[in-house]
Amino acid sequence: MNAKPETPLSIDNCYHCGGDLASDNLYEAALGGLSRYFCCAGCLAIAQTIHGQGLEAFYTRRIPLGQKPDDLGQLTDQVPDALLAYDDPVLMDRFTRASSEYPGEYETTLRLEKIRCAACVWLNEQHLKRLFGVKDVQINYVTQRATVRFNPNEVHLSKLLHSVEQIGYEAWPFEPSMGADLAKKERRHLLMRLGVAVLGMMQVMMYAWPTYTGAEDLLVEQELLLGWTSWALTVPVVLYSAGPMFVVAWHSIRNFPKTGMLGMDVPVSLAIALAFIAGTISLVLGVGESYFDSITMFIAFLLGARYLELLARQDAQGGAEALAKQLPATCDRFEDYPNTDLTKSVPVVRCVLGDVLRISPGDVIPVDGVLLSGEASLNEAILSGESRSVSKKVGDVLYAGSHNIVSPIVMRITVLGQGTRIAGIASLLDKALLAKPQVVGLAEKWAGYFVVFLMAAAGLTAIAWYFLDPLKAWETAVAVLVASCPCALSLATPAAMAAAQGAITKLGLLVVRGHVMETLAKATDLVIDKTGTLTTGHPELKTILALRSGYTEQQVLAIAAAMESGQKHPLGLAILEAAEKQQIQPVILNQAPVSELGKGLHSGIYQLGARQWLNLEPISIDQENEQASLIYLKDDQGLLAVFALLDTPRPGAMEFIQQVQARGIQVHLLSGDDQQTVAWWARYFGIEDHRGGALPEDKFSFSEALQKEGKVVWAVGDGVNDAPFLAKANISVAVGSGAPLAQAGADAVLTTESLKPLSQALDLADKTKIIMRQNLIWAFVYNVLAIPIAMMGLVNPWIAGIGMSLSSLAVTLNAWRLRKTSE
Amino acid sequence: MESLYLLIPMSLVVVAVIVLILYWAVKSGQFEDLEGPGHSILMDDDVSSTRGIDKSPPSTSVKQKE
Repeated sequence: MNAKPETPLSIDNCYHCGGDLASDNLYEAALGGLSRYFCCAGCLAIAQTIHGQGLEAFYTRRIPLGQKPDDLGQLTDQVPDALLAYDDPVLMDRFTRASSEYPGEYETTLRLEKIRCAACVWLNEQHLKRLFGVKDVQINYVTQRATVRFNPNEVHLSKLLHSVEQIGYEAWPFEPSMGADLAKKERRHLLMRLGVAVLGMMQVMMYAWPTYTGAEDLLVEQELLLGWTSWALTVPVVLYSAGPMFVVAWHSIRNFPKTGMLGMDVPVSLAIALAFIAGTISLVLGVGESYFDSITMFIAFLLGARYLELLARQDAQGGAEALAKQLPATCDRFEDYPNTDLTKSVPVVRCVLGDVLRISPGDVIPVDGVLLSGEASLNEAILSGESRSVSKKVGDVLYAGSHNIVSPIVMRITVLGQGTRIAGIASLLDKALLAKPQVVGLAEKWAGYFVVFLMAAAGLTAIAWYFLDPLKAWETAVAVLVASCPCALSLATPAAMAAAQGAITKLGLLVVRGHVMETLAKATDLVIDKTGTLTTGHPELKTILALRSGYTEQQVLAIAAAMESGQKHPLGLAILEAAEKQQIQPVILNQAPVSELGKGLHSGIYQLGARQWLNLEPISIDQENEQASLIYLKDDQGLLAVFALLDTPRPGAMEFIQQVQARGIQVHLLSGDDQQTVAWWARYFGIEDHRGGALPEDKFSFSEALQKEGKVVWAVGDGVNDAPFLAKANISVAVGSGAPLAQAGADAVLTTESLKPLSQALDLADKTKIIMRQNLIWAFVYNVLAIPIAMMGLVNPWIAGIGMSLSSLAVTLNAWRLRKTSE
Repeated sequence: MESLYLLIPMSLVVVAVIVLILYWAVKSGQFEDLEGPGHSILMDDDVSSTRGIDKSPPSTSVKQKE
């Protein structure tokens, strides 16, 4: 048993998931003319499905290896009951909509999980397309959302979801909110405006070419023709592309008495309007220059930067939408509790107060309620941050969003919908988002003063020239306005932001609210969560103490792994994982292990579990494992071994904390876990300020207090309990693998396992700050030089125009350098 | 330079056509996903068309070694 027999295989990894093959328990199938080997029936079934549809190109194209399926039940052809509930008219209504272009067909949006590379996207697309009744499938590579158009008479929503599971992925129906439709409209509208501006810019510049090169042989009529054609193309750019800016500017001016601030759009609109009017007048009179090339170029650049900004911002989502994703849409309801055991899978929206539900192990509780029977072991980490599971007795309150770990439980619904604890946290989040301190951009602060200064300068020039030479007064005043156009100023920050965001997204930090880079450089305090953020929240087997002579560590692990096999408890999973990693074959037990809920397992002579249950004396354990959860293994002769399991720090966490401290940022560790555990981890990372047992409200008020002291708070967290304080902080990062609700409140989402992108983001924030400063200085210097010269009447209007274009270009190109820094 | 009288109006027509094409492209969602289609072209090449929509399972012999 212990010796590994020779395997006659050339490849000793599973064809689908790449896991190690156990030589005595492997599956073989002929696929594509070759013998392939699999580690489990699940991998085999998936590979057969993929090959069966001629999609085997997936295996040559994919970059990371596949994942082992968790549940074999998903792989049968029979659609499971839980999914069938999605065909209920209420849920159908929520998740599908009639196609506007193809009558009789429906559309739905699915969110795909476990997508890792382009090959995965392709595989899902092809697989769904081959279903009978599916008309069209579009998968967005970036958002990982699939839009499926299907005929509801031929295929059901449940079948779509199930077929995705059959090839080893997961799909959730995605409820497109009103917001999503609006966002799409806004995005398309801005893109169209940008396109018109860019086309106008290119064309008008072409017509301006004779003016640039000083072509002498143009006739007056030809010049007029060029001039009026440019005008005709500039009109739509100004009215359509720049139109909304005028509206915003007008609102800003109207509200000036109240707010005392002028937005960036005011000087921008003013410059565009004045330059356009001046250009038109010049054209009509036939004297002076038109500035149409400068106007269109400026509008095109500005809209380009704004479009990138909009794309980033729209990735953010509201609290309500995230909440829907946090909880299951269906549940098992008892038909007639307690008379029968019959349950039926129904949509949660159909449930009423007092209904009795059964929650299977591994499922998420959909509503708040009380436990009716059995003992439950729940993971409430998502709500409280407590990493270890919590035991519940009959009559205890269960919260929506917590995870049922060990055994099926029966609960009665006491609170539904908006009254649940998780919904309460969501509304706290929305409140925090509303009250979030408005970040006033550096450039915007300047803009207000700049407009006043500009108007004064132009006015003075006009008055002065009126006395000197009334004929030149108008022309000079316009030259001042055009030469000093705030293009460079208004592009300085957005261009740098857009470039930095592009770079940081590639590194693994998705910026969803625009100000991240600017605020990050100013952060004074870092408030960080423990479970799931600094640590992975998954226990790992650290030490095995084999306490009886004759037993090696491997042997006791083999016994423990055999007892834990099939268990879903996180500690049990960690033991199984360790055994698999060390390639230890579990021993064969004479009796199937029996689970004593919340205490441990026993099988024959062996008992595995908590010390109290086994009636053992505590054993002393070294400093390293002080915080570990201990599992004791005992047989009929007494204690055999102790397993120490410890939460593992996230990769890059130590370096990140050190870098942050080196920058002089004060670090605070705030966790819902118990004080002792938090203190241990704080010591581990070298963090002085730490607090355990913190409720979501505590975290919220903690950052509020810091902010009142004038600190700039940077928050990093992952759980639902972190959501409100993430929203409250000046700048916040949510860990991508955490709760969607936490991400709704955050300014940026970490998409990698490691915390390294955060360190890189700090560096990039510094660079962004430098570039933005350079840009602002450049814009300032340019204006300081150009305005007096223009006031003296020395600036030829076309030089003014070129200067304006060049200054915008310089600022944009300078910002573009940030994109390079990531590589 | 008389050609200008023909070329300039023509360029206006071309711009108008391009704007219409752009309008269609934006409206039909051509800009929604700029990365995916690039990948899917590479992927599709590898599928032999003969096996394309074959919905019957391939002949596989499954056995579990003990």
